[in-house]
Amino acid sequence: MTNNDTVANGAVKKESSTSPLLEVKHLDVEFTTDTGHAVKAVQDSSFTVYPGQWVAIVGESGSGKSTSAMSVLGLLPGTGKVTGGSIKLHGEELVGKSQKDYEKLRGTEMGLVPQDPMSNLNPVWRIGTQVKEALTANNMDVSREKRSSLSKSLSNAEVELKKSDDELFISSAEREGLLAAAKKALEAAHVARLDQKMENFSETWVAGSQTRWLVAQDLVKAGLDDDTAWGIAKEHVTGSSMDDRISGLLSEAGLPEASTRARQFPHEFSGGMRQRALIAIGLASRPDLLIADEPTSALDVTVQKKILDHLRTLTDSLGTAVLFITHDLGLAAERAQHIVVMYHGRVVESGPSLEVLQHPQHPYTKRLVNAAPSLASQRIISAKQRGEDADELDKLMEHHAKGEDILERGEHIITVDHLTREFKLPRKKEMFKAVDDVSFSVKRGTTLAIVGESGSGKSTVANMVLRLLQPTSGTVTYEGEDISTFQGAKLLDFRKHVQPVFQNPYGSLDPMYSIYRSIEEPLRIHKIGDRKSRIARVRELLDMVELPESVMGRYPNELSGGQRQRIAIARAMALDPDVIIADEAVSALDVLVQDEVLRLLNDLQAERGLSYLFITHDLAVVRQIADEVVVMQNGRLVEHATTDEVFDHPQMQYTRDLLDAIPGGKLQLGLD
Amino acid sequence: MGKYLLRRILQMIPVVIGTTLLIYALVFALPGDPVAAMFGDKPINQSVAAQIRSEYNLDKPFIVQYLIFLKNALTLNFGETFSHQPVIDVMGRAFPVTIKLAIMAFIFEAIFGVVFGIISGLKRGKWYDSVILVVSLLLISVPTFVFGFVLQYFVGVKWGLLPVTAGSNPGFFDLLMPASVLGSVSMAYIIRLTRSEVSSNMTEDYVRTARAKGMSSKSVTMRHILRNSMIPVVTYLGTDIGALMGGAMVTERIFNINGIGNTLYQGILRGEGPLVVSIVTVLVLVFVICNLVVDMLYAVLDPRIRYA
Amino acid sequence: MSDMSKSDSENLDTTNEEFFADPDPLPGQERFVAPADETPLQAVDSVDENEPATSMWASAWITLRKNPLFIVSAILIIFILLVAIFPQLFTHNNPTYCNLDYSLEKGSGAHPFGFDQQGCDVYSRVIYGARTSVSVGVLTTILVTLLGGLIGAIAGFFGGWVDAVLSRITDIFFAIPLLLGAIVVLQMFKTSSSIWKVILAMTLFGWVQMARITRGSVLEAKNLEFNTASTALGSTPMRNLFRHVIPNALAPVIVMATTSLGTYIVMEATLSFLGIGLPSSVVSWGGDISSAQSLLRVTPSVLFYPSVALALTVLGFIMMGDAVKDALDPKSRTE
Repeated sequence: MTNNDTVANGAVKKESSTSPLLEVKHLDVEFTTDTGHAVKAVQDSSFTVYPGQWVAIVGESGSGKSTSAMSVLGLLPGTGKVTGGSIKLHGEELVGKSQKDYEKLRGTEMGLVPQDPMSNLNPVWRIGTQVKEALTANNMDVSREKRSSLSKSLSNAEVELKKSDDELFISSAEREGLLAAAKKALEAAHVARLDQKMENFSETWVAGSQTRWLVAQDLVKAGLDDDTAWGIAKEHVTGSSMDDRISGLLSEAGLPEASTRARQFPHEFSGGMRQRALIAIGLASRPDLLIADEPTSALDVTVQKKILDHLRTLTDSLGTAVLFITHDLGLAAERAQHIVVMYHGRVVESGPSLEVLQHPQHPYTKRLVNAAPSLASQRIISAKQRGEDADELDKLMEHHAKGEDILERGEHIITVDHLTREFKLPRKKEMFKAVDDVSFSVKRGTTLAIVGESGSGKSTVANMVLRLLQPTSGTVTYEGEDISTFQGAKLLDFRKHVQPVFQNPYGSLDPMYSIYRSIEEPLRIHKIGDRKSRIARVRELLDMVELPESVMGRYPNELSGGQRQRIAIARAMALDPDVIIADEAVSALDVLVQDEVLRLLNDLQAERGLSYLFITHDLAVVRQIADEVVVMQNGRLVEHATTDEVFDHPQMQYTRDLLDAIPGGKLQLGLD
Repeated sequence: MGKYLLRRILQMIPVVIGTTLLIYALVFALPGDPVAAMFGDKPINQSVAAQIRSEYNLDKPFIVQYLIFLKNALTLNFGETFSHQPVIDVMGRAFPVTIKLAIMAFIFEAIFGVVFGIISGLKRGKWYDSVILVVSLLLISVPTFVFGFVLQYFVGVKWGLLPVTAGSNPGFFDLLMPASVLGSVSMAYIIRLTRSEVSSNMTEDYVRTARAKGMSSKSVTMRHILRNSMIPVVTYLGTDIGALMGGAMVTERIFNINGIGNTLYQGILRGEGPLVVSIVTVLVLVFVICNLVVDMLYAVLDPRIRYA
Repeated sequence: MSDMSKSDSENLDTTNEEFFADPDPLPGQERFVAPADETPLQAVDSVDENEPATSMWASAWITLRKNPLFIVSAILIIFILLVAIFPQLFTHNNPTYCNLDYSLEKGSGAHPFGFDQQGCDVYSRVIYGARTSVSVGVLTTILVTLLGGLIGAIAGFFGGWVDAVLSRITDIFFAIPLLLGAIVVLQMFKTSSSIWKVILAMTLFGWVQMARITRGSVLEAKNLEFNTASTALGSTPMRNLFRHVIPNALAPVIVMATTSLGTYIVMEATLSFLGIGLPSSVVSWGGDISSAQSLLRVTPSVLFYPSVALALTVLGFIMMGDAVKDALDPKSRTE
């Protein structure tokens, strides 16, 4: 400590914490189309990020949020170009810089955690190699920590600046020796609860991640005197190798068994693990600003929560500022101090998160707040319930009040009894149980939601209820009859009454079919009506899903996702079914569109007494539509209760985890 | 990997048997009596003919002939030509020439195809990209033999840079022109393949991630764009070796090279069943083995392919 | 809608002030609300009713006709087809009337390309050769597409043992190079003078690629979600095959067919060049090139004209194949 090492990262100016890290002013971005005319993707947008802060940009797809972020990094795709405004990082203008200059900034000054974990890692390189690239590209010293120049002053003003050698990492070769020396010293000092302390050490002292001064600090806290502690730390913490650092970074990002994992390829990783690797890469060179572009939108909610929690801890300790791009207002408010709302390429509202959420002022923000499922607390009230008809309303209010009563007495339209489905896995002897002994029933005129994360078996259940898949054992009964016995005309009749709406509105409509032909198809299959009456019926159905008649001649690729999903609903309604099986029917849609589709489904149910089996991964949506909830995990039924029960008194830990993970779920909104 | 290799070799067997059977059937179902053809203009001596028939097993049922052929082929006994030379010797003389030719053509197409394809793909829309594209279109459109004649006329006859035809024991310079003719069409296809791979890989998400790491554009190009583009190109190159040996027939005729293509061609014209079947069998083997090697390489280049 | 946003923007002015008074925000992070009329709020997910409706084929056609590659190749192909169908419009000379007196005479007036060794008019032979090349190319492509398409579609759609058997058969044919196989087959019909023997020989060994492409494409189309949707609506597998799978699997097959048409023309010429393709009585570019081979050093023009005609024809079809591929490529179709 007495040597005259250069002080790490220069003297941190305390006053710098009040000068912005990133300042984007009046940004304009344009894309040139094939036909040569310019399309404005971002217009006159301004936002500011301060060191160590989390700032969220919220918007729907096409709002310009990702484009804004990519123009900061100088990585606009294709013909994209910044045509106006300024982007300043540390007060230095970035607009107009050459790619060579940007190469110097990327990695060290700003990092990226991209959106889709599946496509953002190169499939042919090992994970470790891809982390290593990030380190070598910026000539990072792998033996010691580089704190972001502002970290100390922000995260913990009390900690004095460390000298360069104090930031040396533990190496994997020294780690055993360090632990042994620590144990010996602690024994000699007769410290209490030795085993527990040693356990803590071996957990926190990760090679390539934990530094000398932290080790010394830990030892002092454990009860050693300063000199002994620093003596041990100096002797046994002398800097890590490249491989140590790679696994250190990966384990910092929350990847278990990092040194083994580093030798694996991306296809051997799950989505969540890949996202962790991408976080490690984004933070590898300790950037001051991390741009996180929807980093968890492809992941299950519980995984999302874990990863974001982890990212939070990590960026806090490093003093990294995060520009967080998301479509989820609840998530943004929960994670960021400052929110920027974008719509049609413009910033429509910005300000402190809670304030924006509680008192949205721009009509668009208001709309967004109202539609966000994670912020809604009630089942959507259908049009009739909203009160066009007073008698009806009374009756429905009664229905709502006595909801549980009705559920208990209600007539079962679909019953699933001890349903099990096994699949043969390639190269494995034992069968994989995708669905394991699941029983529940859907009552006429109500909605039952099956909730679960990917791999829970919920879609397999849906396919068995639709008789697209045969169960290994167990039965599905429709109106009291076992559907597996249905043949010929009987099966056709079943298909007429039980209709599907699938997750992917892009995939479930034949791109070669006009909208008219798509909606007409079930009528044709079931030989209902003549040409004239079918046209009339299709018109009626389009009207029902609130789409103009003019879409009849169009093709699926010309419509938006929400419109396609309406077409899919119209098709399902063509035969006047009793039951609709909706498999993730709103998951692919933007919040506002999702909200509208949910309302449509709700209105249809109220008008026609439909029964829904609603498959989703999103508990927040469940609250808006379902009467009853079935929670599934790993093919098993975990919990089955009314919606209110599940939300208010969840019985199982897994359900509680799912509820906890709803972004923004715990935010208290004093909605006007 | 060893298990996978073994399984693949086992899978090859039905293909090789099926292919040789097919060729065998086609050759020996040829109308016209090959024995009669041997007598040429002379009157046919029936007893000699019968002796020849039994010698070549031509008097036995077709499937028996095939099985005998297969059994002998396993011991490298491919029988004799009608002029009583062992087929194995004929092949032994012809194959080395063709192999030399095919290897030169292969190197030619691999180097120029990949290099021009990369330049074209990285600099899409530049003038040299257009030039490379037009040239490759022309090479595909102009039949090999026309291209061969043109080269022969200019490079060989007019400018006298290279020998017009290759002699009986051709060396490097004798084969230079034939090899480039042989490899030209494949080179054009490799250019197009490489170009489209490179330009589509440039827009991949992981390339953007690599740039966001701070990597220089040079190393992004080398490690991410080119590395990934090479997977389909290597596959194409591998399967092309077999095709080059087969395609040598035209080139060898133009340049008068006594390789396997010419020998096969003469064999077909003369109706020499055993010779034709033997050569085709060997060519099919080469092709199938190349495919196997490509599969192995593929698994090495692309870790997503498991040895399953 | 506009009423609403107006009243909202009025509200904003009054409420804004109290939030500006917020003590904490750092410079640049003050509460900001854009004037509502700057970004007028649109109805959620509104349909643009002005755009014309276009099916996949229609939009492919729009892409296609804007492609210069397509325009050039279309003009070339139309011209070649015209020549092939009505050769008498382009020449009054009989391509098979040859007079040794004119052997290798230079071009002039009615005989612009001169005469070949046999004393036949080169120009009229080039004109009449188009019919042979084009008909062999087109007929082979049709047969290959039908045979390969059928085998591939059956293998892809039914899967299981049908697929296993058909795929092994495909493997066997795949291992024999097209040229090699065709030569062996053509030897069987040495005496025939019909162009069909060439067409059939090429079909026999050419269907493999088409079968593989079709199989892959059918397999992909079969697994698309709209088939499941149709099944759940009550559709039968056969109905799905003809109404959904085949129409959706067509694009790659069309691309393959267009591109390979040029290849078959080259192949026919190569076979004729080797002397085992078309009989010499049929006027064909390949045959003419073959017989002019020895004249390379004496009168290269005799070799030149049929070669250029052949190359231009092939170029036309290959460029057309490229253009069609660009238009039908699913990657270029995604918005």
